[in-house]
Amino acid sequence: MTVALALLVAGTVAGLVTPPLLGRIVDLASSGASTGAIVLIGAGLVAGALGEAILAGWGVALLAQGAESMLASLRERFVDSALRLPLEQVERAGAGDLTSRVTNDVAAIAEAARSALPEFSRAMLTIGLTLAGMAVLDWRFLIAALIAVPVQVYTVRWYARRAGPLYASQRVAVAAQQHHLLATIDGARTIRAFRIADEHRARVAAKSQEAVDLLLRGVALQTRFYARLHVAEFAGLTAVLSTGFFLVRADAVSIGTATAAALYFHGLFNPINVALALVDDAQVAASGLNRLVGVADLADSAAAPQAISAGAPQTGPAAAPQTGPAAASSGGPSAEPSGGPSAGPPGEGAAGPSVVPASSSGGGATAIPQPLPAASPAVRVSGLGFSYREDRPVLSDIDLTIAPGERVAVVGSTGAGKTTLAKLIAGVHQPTAGSVHVPAGEVVLITQEVHVFAGPLADDLRLARPAATDDEVRAALTAVDALTWVDQLPEGMSTEVGSGGHTVTAAQAQQLAFARLILADPPVAILDEATAEAGSAGARLLERVAATALSGRTAVIVAHRLTQAATADRIVVLDAGRIVEQGTHQELTARPGPYATLWQVWSDQRPQP
Amino acid sequence: MIRSALAPQRRAIALGTLLATSWQAGEAAVPFLIGVIIDRAVAGGVGDLALWLGVLGAVYLGLSYSFRYAARSSERASEQAAHDLRMRVTQRVLHDRGGAETDRLPGALVSVATGDAARVGAVAVAVIFGIAAVGAVLVGAVLLLSVSLPLGLLVLLGTPPLMVLTRLIGKPLEARSETEQEHAAQASGVAADLVAGLRVVKGLRAEQAAVARYRERSRSALAATVHAARAESAYQSLVLSLSGLFLAVIAVTGGLLAVRGDLTVGQLISSVGLAQFLVGPMSTFGWVGADLAQGRASARRIAAVLAAPEAVPGGEAVPVIPASGALRVRVSTLDLTVAPGEMLGVVTTDPALAMELVRLLGRSHDPAEGEVTLDGVALSSLAPADLRSVLLATDHHTDLFDGTLRGAISLAGRASAEVVDAAMIAADADEVARSLPDSTFEARTLSGGQRQRVALARSLAAEPAVLVVHDPTTAVDAVTEARIAGRLRGMRAGRTTVLVTTSPALLAVADRVVLVDDGAVCASGTHLELVTRDETYRGTVLA
Repeated sequence: MTVALALLVAGTVAGLVTPPLLGRIVDLASSGASTGAIVLIGAGLVAGALGEAILAGWGVALLAQGAESMLASLRERFVDSALRLPLEQVERAGAGDLTSRVTNDVAAIAEAARSALPEFSRAMLTIGLTLAGMAVLDWRFLIAALIAVPVQVYTVRWYARRAGPLYASQRVAVAAQQHHLLATIDGARTIRAFRIADEHRARVAAKSQEAVDLLLRGVALQTRFYARLHVAEFAGLTAVLSTGFFLVRADAVSIGTATAAALYFHGLFNPINVALALVDDAQVAASGLNRLVGVADLADSAAAPQAISAGAPQTGPAAAPQTGPAAASSGGPSAEPSGGPSAGPPGEGAAGPSVVPASSSGGGATAIPQPLPAASPAVRVSGLGFSYREDRPVLSDIDLTIAPGERVAVVGSTGAGKTTLAKLIAGVHQPTAGSVHVPAGEVVLITQEVHVFAGPLADDLRLARPAATDDEVRAALTAVDALTWVDQLPEGMSTEVGSGGHTVTAAQAQQLAFARLILADPPVAILDEATAEAGSAGARLLERVAATALSGRTAVIVAHRLTQAATADRIVVLDAGRIVEQGTHQELTARPGPYATLWQVWSDQRPQP
Repeated sequence: MIRSALAPQRRAIALGTLLATSWQAGEAAVPFLIGVIIDRAVAGGVGDLALWLGVLGAVYLGLSYSFRYAARSSERASEQAAHDLRMRVTQRVLHDRGGAETDRLPGALVSVATGDAARVGAVAVAVIFGIAAVGAVLVGAVLLLSVSLPLGLLVLLGTPPLMVLTRLIGKPLEARSETEQEHAAQASGVAADLVAGLRVVKGLRAEQAAVARYRERSRSALAATVHAARAESAYQSLVLSLSGLFLAVIAVTGGLLAVRGDLTVGQLISSVGLAQFLVGPMSTFGWVGADLAQGRASARRIAAVLAAPEAVPGGEAVPVIPASGALRVRVSTLDLTVAPGEMLGVVTTDPALAMELVRLLGRSHDPAEGEVTLDGVALSSLAPADLRSVLLATDHHTDLFDGTLRGAISLAGRASAEVVDAAMIAADADEVARSLPDSTFEARTLSGGQRQRVALARSLAAEPAVLVVHDPTTAVDAVTEARIAGRLRGMRAGRTTVLVTTSPALLAVADRVVLVDDGAVCASGTHLELVTRDETYRGTVLA
């Protein structure tokens, strides 16, 4: 960077020899000098131009390189933060919003860094050095030139006041446009099937037009900004010309010097416009940057409490093992001595059961290391409550202790809170009351959501274990009965899958999810209706696959396919966010109750001949 | 491509060009006037100075207003053209015959519809200011000619080769900028894909691996950008050198002429000032060239999307309305018939075949061999939109769009309130409505079971003559599913319904069920019959 700046300074200085040399030609001409002298000055002009072009060009290239590297780090840091954001936060804001930040805002800042930074540096250098040059010609020229400054200062302040809010609303409008565009493009198949393309086109058009209108309002503001700068130009030029006029009359300077001063000032127009206009790019970049940094901050502050509330006593921040640059930089709350209710999520202090004595490791006492006895539970949930909105609890007073290696099925009607419970145990959501304790190592959650990541299939699996060898990946695929169809893909494990690539069925996608589970190899696994998407035919296969993938792990299985519940070690029945029943399949079917009813309907649909 | 995108902005571009040229003419007059002022004022007195400063003021007023409205016109043309392109891309993606999404990430398509559209729109600005720069050169030349014939000719004859040269040098930049943009689009596509799979990433605790993957793409994008930035600054340096050389030649020539007495000092200053001013318009050619190059690269990507081969080409006929709803699928070894008004259950042992069947019926694509017919007419001969007005085939994965629940189910008011009510009750979506605090929702916040019920209600509310659904209740519990199955029949009475599913609850209400194994129908009968007599069926359905 220092080298880049030095090159820029040298290049700018080389460029600034031009006006005095031109002034020199004027003087030589009026004094009737020889051809040779004038050609010599011409050679000087050429040297100056080449020097400026080479040195400044080199400097700009270096500067852009530095800026681009910084930018790459910034966008990587941002994606890092975005992926660490609590899920509920992302869902509340809409994924399109996040996508817009990941794509548009990053691009806006990239643009600023790419062109604005080098241009701005050059413009500022040119302005500074030109003013110095004018002072060298005669200090009175500098004074005359500075007449323009108050007008310029006023203009920039006038502009900045108006541009800030306008740009903020522009970014919001562009984000909304992006959100609708993404939802529309993503849902194109559905839109076609239902023939609602017109509505969606209209929606996108309205959002796009809104963004365009705001952009044009920005342009109108900019042009008013330039009009004011023109006033400054005219005032300054008039002053410099008049100064030259009187100085030449008084024989204080030569006409060549006055010419050089006028040319200097005229040469200032462009850099000044560039520099001041970059206030503009800076505003755009700043509001984009705000949105990026906002995400990074959210992720930082979210990472800290997570480490406390879900951390197991003997390991500290077990739930947040990846302390990347984002999380590590915050330090703050997670470094507090004992966590205590105040450091936990809001509402925790009010929940009775969570404030149990230290022996039951409630509340989030991360700082007191407690060796757990051999038969200690693998998962302990106490007094757990959760709500998206305060008046609508999704879960309340959940107490659940799961022994290592135990397989617990959670059943209940849709909307009973099963998925939320799974997410809370997995640490994906944070409880609003009570606490969740899981052992050292990690919990992996497999949901009914099947997303296959775009790219080669093996890369998708390696998300779970980046260092996995081809043999390990193949072994995982074999374990989930997927190797046969994977080998039949055009390029086997290297086939591009996901959106834009080869489409796999829901069942196949879920097989991949189980293969990821095997590669991740966590002690505790949570399946949230992980076999649901495939339909019964696929479900049977997936249940077999799940059994293989879960062997040797503690498991919580959210299932409405009761075959899975029937073979579990214990069944927990949820209704309206509370546990209403638990026991083995035999115990629960032997007495009337919600599970017995469910089982009745289920087996009626499946008469065994 | 660029031409057709900018054609509707003809007026704005013409106005912008006119005003921008007048602005540049004003800018050219300023250095000329500087020379005049020095000449006249040195010879004359304070009165002359005041007069010419007044002229300068008038020129400033003109150029300021010209610039103001030139900028507004050009930006309007640019933004409006980008908007139109955005809508054309959207329209192409949503086109009845599909095909634009093949081989493209949704994130990449969004980037085409936003970034690339904007870059093509920006060509309008480049064109306007490019033409204005040409105008500036011309005005400068005319002013120079009025000062001195040789100097004017020098500028007039020297500029065109210079422009051609810059243009030639700028060519290779185009390829660089294209690779750079591709890398950037890929990186942002990966980021968008990771965000789309955020739940999976979170569930796996694979944030770190995901970030590593993005970083890899981001780094290769960085390498491409740095490459392009270097090329661009080298290009700018060359343009700067060329224009500097040009200025030196003019200044020296002017100086020599002045020594010979052919020019006054003021005229020399004017010419030198003009030559220096001309560096501006000429470097404009630099960025105009770069913008044109970028615009062309973007236009190619947009054109590729717009010209993407249709997934289901051909077929303009309109199905007979009202359709009686007889279907026949004869594709490779599969031969399947659905009678008008029948509720048919289709069980496939191969889930991939089920998905394929639904897509063939909805004409998302056409079979490679064989055909699918509706009332005896091949689907491939029917216009997709008209076909879908009588036949609705929904994938297992259907998207819900944010908005109000009733708005989503009624398809923006197409279905009457009574139909919506009935559909919501039939699909048990009324329970979902009760659980929402206000009736608006964001698709992502619904649970899987809720999403499926809303989607099913929407399909039912569309009341198509033929409805094909694929595993619509996999995330719904047994009791609710049984309730939905019971109501489904009433809602679809007299209309053809194909249930591609392995759910016993749904199959139990079908008139007839066919079992497809090994790519062919191997059994047909009611659910109960098949349960009693077919081992494969039991294995597939009663698992």
